[in-house]
Amino acid sequence: MSNASPGAPLDSSNDPTGDQTGRFVIQPNGRPRPLSPHLQVWRWHVTMLASILTRITGSALYGATALIVLWLGALAFGPEAYATFVGLAGSPIGLIVWFGLTVCLMYHLAAGVRHLIWDAGAGLSPKAADTASHLSIWFGVIASVVFWAVLFASGKVTL
Amino acid sequence: MSQVRKAFRKGVKVSERHGAGEWTAERLSSLLLVPLTVWALWAAFQIAGGGYEGALDWFSNRVNASILAVTLLATLWHMNMGLKVIVEDYIHTDGAKGLLLGLNTLFCLALAAGSVFFIVRLALGSAPLPAGFGF
Repeated sequence: MSNASPGAPLDSSNDPTGDQTGRFVIQPNGRPRPLSPHLQVWRWHVTMLASILTRITGSALYGATALIVLWLGALAFGPEAYATFVGLAGSPIGLIVWFGLTVCLMYHLAAGVRHLIWDAGAGLSPKAADTASHLSIWFGVIASVVFWAVLFASGKVTL
Repeated sequence: MSQVRKAFRKGVKVSERHGAGEWTAERLSSLLLVPLTVWALWAAFQIAGGGYEGALDWFSNRVNASILAVTLLATLWHMNMGLKVIVEDYIHTDGAKGLLLGLNTLFCLALAAGSVFFIVRLALGSAPLPAGFGF
């Protein structure tokens, strides 16, 4: 690109001195440098959403693992401790938390499979990547709803 | 400066540091966790609503207890690497970064020790804690 070459004449598109577009920042050494594009200037795209969701759900699942170990501990500490745990885990707020964590798990699982396929070098065209991202998000929601619907329908969980 | 011995393979310099080890470990743990997660969902479905006795029954099956231990250890390995990447991406001051990475590993090790300890006791049908600890 001619704009990028060092000797290119400055015009309104590449002159940082009179810039009013916010595309340049003054570095600590006083020199204007182009601002690196970040989240707020990108049009949201499903692959981008899927990537961010993978990280957010992964963080939530970090806490979920701690809860599972807490469950193991409650069980190992006997019936009274277990009753306390189940009382909290089975309360309406507890069930909402478990449902949310189920969505995180189902989505993160699907996203992991999607990522492994991409890592193998497959499905990397924009269209295939979009489809895989949409599928993983829908799987996360639908599989969780089905899982909990079956739990309630079988009477294993009641409100 | 210590002298660095440069290794070449097929004319390409081999990394002197971690190389692709972390990348490979992330993929390996993911691959391992795909079937284990599906199994864990099935296990959760079996245990749900069974109460204290039902849960103990489930643990008396050694296969269940063993696969659960493997699942939790693989999960802790995976989530330790996951949070490490997040900390490295967002925390740039050396002190805070080192502290958080250390806490992450300590927390995961504590959970690993706790889960193996609890699972072994439950699988062996030990008396409820703190039995055996002099209380």
